[in-house]
Amino acid sequence: MKAAPITTIKTIVEKIDDGGPDVKVFSLVDPDRWELPPFRPGAHIDLHLPGKVVRTYSLCNDPAENSRYVVAVKREPSGRGGSIRLHDDVRQGDTIGVSLPRGGLQLDNKVSRFTFVAGGIGVTPFLSAAAYLMRTGGADFRLHLMVRGEPPVAGLLAPLLQKGHVVIHNTVTAARPEVASLIGRTPSDEMVGCCGPQGMIEDFEQATRGWPDELVHIERFVPLARPLDPNEKPYTLVLSRSRLEVAVTAGQTMLAALIDAGIDIPASCCGGICGSCKVDWLQGEPVHRDRVLSPAERGKSLMVCVAGSATDRLILDL
Amino acid sequence: MLDVLETQGNAAGAGDRTISPAWTGLVRHLHITPRAFLPMRAMPEIKLIAGRGIEGDRYMIGREEGFYSHKPEEGRQVTLFEIETLVALKRDHNIELGPEEHRRNVTTVGVPLTHLVGRKFWLGETLLEATRLSIPCRHIEEITGKAIFDPLINRSGLNCRILQGGVVRIGDTMRNFQ
Repeated sequence: MKAAPITTIKTIVEKIDDGGPDVKVFSLVDPDRWELPPFRPGAHIDLHLPGKVVRTYSLCNDPAENSRYVVAVKREPSGRGGSIRLHDDVRQGDTIGVSLPRGGLQLDNKVSRFTFVAGGIGVTPFLSAAAYLMRTGGADFRLHLMVRGEPPVAGLLAPLLQKGHVVIHNTVTAARPEVASLIGRTPSDEMVGCCGPQGMIEDFEQATRGWPDELVHIERFVPLARPLDPNEKPYTLVLSRSRLEVAVTAGQTMLAALIDAGIDIPASCCGGICGSCKVDWLQGEPVHRDRVLSPAERGKSLMVCVAGSATDRLILDL
Repeated sequence: MLDVLETQGNAAGAGDRTISPAWTGLVRHLHITPRAFLPMRAMPEIKLIAGRGIEGDRYMIGREEGFYSHKPEEGRQVTLFEIETLVALKRDHNIELGPEEHRRNVTTVGVPLTHLVGRKFWLGETLLEATRLSIPCRHIEEITGKAIFDPLINRSGLNCRILQGGVVRIGDTMRNFQ
């Protein structure tokens, strides 16, 4: 059997802690406790769960803790099923593939004060930021957490509460404060961040209108659609030998579309120089972006890792 | 400084002359990692196993936990990288790349690695044979977050097989096999 490429970081569930009502806190480590790829405060990772379910969660621990990824997951019965799988099926010792960490806050700029506004489990991206700021001690910060009743991840919040960095607003017992009242009015040396339900995000966007982009950070539960390059258009690959059609979405590589379709394509550099993924084309107009094929070779072949199509349909000899 | 010497013609014919670089280099850094994506860890010494790879490294034959392990390659038992390339990246492209970031196992100084394909050489007490030049890959940009694919074309290191195993330490000498 042909070996499959390794596309995720292999981690083991070291422990699962109770994070309060409907919340579990998962600690993920390398099987040999090797260091994991570094992450920025507020970064997130994808968890690859059985059944090709991929879910994104913020990392909650201090980025200096380089051998552990900690994520807090709230069980959402009406969600898409990822949190239910994690809560109900995942056990200590299980293996979970995760992505490289992405995103996060730039906390190393010349900012003397940070204010974070979070709703419920939306507190998670600011836990790693808070841990970083507590450790480095270079800037003052405050985390406003709005909850209905008991706050999540009490154990992770405890050291922040003890130092007076967290203000909990229980909207069961008091009115929800205006987001604008929680953040400064004069954007100068203050950075603000928000993560929570859509209504809170909209209030935050309103309150920070006109602020410099580098001083405002919004973490969304659902990612915004990536803005498309107007020159990138979807097209269809027609595989002449296997009599298949494969749709390539705008911005997707031909290689990724073929792999998704289960087509076995040898590839290596993924940058158009090694020549591993050369495929002959038969009809259409390829857009060549490689640096390995001669003009004469391009009349017959293309490199699927970087090539595109100028025509709606491109016929490949596959 | 590289000293390039012209030597006598080889067996192919009197008019056929070979450029043979004379050099002696040193091992500056040693790194391994057990699995794809994980950071490379600096080591004071590494153990090379003849015909297989580096103890504990992802590309050790039989371990197969590297990003390219689904593409088996007998000549990829240990990889080398010139520290001079790191200097050039900073000088020519203003890119700071550390020896732990290029993801090759042995960082050398004073060795023209690109000249060594097909040759045998000593790395400390071990004997290696260079099989091919390494090529850069987008994977390394994904891991480092640095735009180093283009600057590393043609100077991304050297793949080798291990003919004679042993322990390689920082500061060991690297020299031609003669």
